[in-house]
Amino acid sequence: MSFSRFFRDRLPAVCIYTLVSLLTIIFTRASGGDMQGVFMIGIILLAGGISILLWDYLRRSSFYKRLFKALEAADRKYLVSEMVPEPEFADGEALYQIISEACRDMYENVAKQKRISSEFREYIELWVHEIKLPVSSLLLMCHNDGEAGERYALQIRRIDDYIENVLFYARSENAEKDYIIKEVRLQKAFGAVAMKNMEALHERGVSIVTEGLDTNVMTDSKWLEYILGQLLGNSMKYFRPDCEPEISLKAETFPDRTELRFRDNGTGIAASDLPYIFEKSFTGENGRNSSRSTGMGLYIVKSLCDRLGHRISADSEKDSFTEITITFGRNDHIKFED
Amino acid sequence: MSRILLVEDDIPIRQELSELLRNAGYEDVCITDFTDPLPEILSSSADLILLDINLPGMNGEQLLREIRRSSQTPVIMVTSRTSELDEVLSMSYGADDYITKPYNPTILLLRISAVLKRSRDTAVSPTYRGITIDTAKGSLTGENGELILTKNEMLIFRTLLEKKGSIVSRNELMTMLWDNAEYINDNALTVNISRLRTKLADFGCENAIETRKKQGYILL
Repeated sequence: MSFSRFFRDRLPAVCIYTLVSLLTIIFTRASGGDMQGVFMIGIILLAGGISILLWDYLRRSSFYKRLFKALEAADRKYLVSEMVPEPEFADGEALYQIISEACRDMYENVAKQKRISSEFREYIELWVHEIKLPVSSLLLMCHNDGEAGERYALQIRRIDDYIENVLFYARSENAEKDYIIKEVRLQKAFGAVAMKNMEALHERGVSIVTEGLDTNVMTDSKWLEYILGQLLGNSMKYFRPDCEPEISLKAETFPDRTELRFRDNGTGIAASDLPYIFEKSFTGENGRNSSRSTGMGLYIVKSLCDRLGHRISADSEKDSFTEITITFGRNDHIKFED
Repeated sequence: MSRILLVEDDIPIRQELSELLRNAGYEDVCITDFTDPLPEILSSSADLILLDINLPGMNGEQLLREIRRSSQTPVIMVTSRTSELDEVLSMSYGADDYITKPYNPTILLLRISAVLKRSRDTAVSPTYRGITIDTAKGSLTGENGELILTKNEMLIFRTLLEKKGSIVSRNELMTMLWDNAEYINDNALTVNISRLRTKLADFGCENAIETRKKQGYILL
């Protein structure tokens, strides 16, 4: 609140005050007061007027200054009423009351939404564990039925993949910390993923090349397995029909980080699409050519990486290759003892 | 024959699991009453326990802790919970392995046999027709001297040897190789097996590995 704005606000009062003061002086002079006495009255009226104005200005401006400062500093703006003391002037009190009330309501709303979303996520987790039971027994039945069951098993595994997507989407959108960072051998994480997709990889005749995977990185192994599974799934979707499909994983360790490069020799990503592939619901040119793209896979992968503190980037050349690089930070101070 | 105890409350899974285990040549025992399973588990004299985490009443992790107080029987945790926390907890309570549902049945069998192998005293090197196998060195030693096998050949030979006299399917061999981070394809498996055959023949073991059409291989 600037003084000039405040002054303009008080202009009518100032005018009335000035008028009253002038009339007082005129009448005092008219009723025979001497010049010196009238001058003194003038000075007193002026000083009184200015101090009233200043005092009023200062107490207001100090409150509003604090309020604005608090608002600027606040991470969650709706908590601002908790950060300034209640003012001692009438309109300030009214304003403070309104803000507090509105903020409290907002806070309650946010808390309610948080609770709802966390309950929803908990339910999703529970539901996923429930549905995995029949999926498991179906897979076992397929195996026990021998070759005839294999056909069904492939579809059941697809169902399982979609279930995982829901689970990890719920996890990636949730603010709660439900992962554990510990040392994970890249070989172990990728091994689990490769194993899960072994039949499909064989069917497509994909050759797999790995290098340097006997390195440990700090991550959550279940999340990393999901991330690698998504990358593998993507590669499998976009192989070129005219060349031998190949997927290569190379890990390289630097003093401050480990880089994992996941590369395939598939259709690649158009240069104009490349900057957007991690965005939600982005499907791009490849997506338009394949009905099975939802634009969620890489978005979830990116959110999971963000939450784990890994960097992820993509490089590609159309009709040549796609390479996704995940960078794990290295910090020898934090080591989880098993 | 190894005895495997199933602690799993989901009835369809339990039935299919016991069929899977019986087909693979194990003897299976099931817990059906979960009000107080601990005494039954401890008195089962099983060689290995497959323990589910989500059980009625007591959770599998607590149960594992109780088991470990008095028994060192190998335990494989089997669960549908895909969270790192459960795995870390289970392993710290003394589980030998941790597998998430839905599992690949071939992998489950592989892990079971690996854990059983580890739990048995394996100070004695395995032998075949008078040949001593040194896995660490990757070599076979016999009257004709020493024969060096590649990692893949050794893995295949060991697997066939463990199941000597019975058929091992290509799928089993493949799963085992992939589980050992050897991501080879179908052709490479054929090549590896024929090389292993030639090497064994040169070493004096003619016709050691026989092909059974559409079924797999058998070490005689």
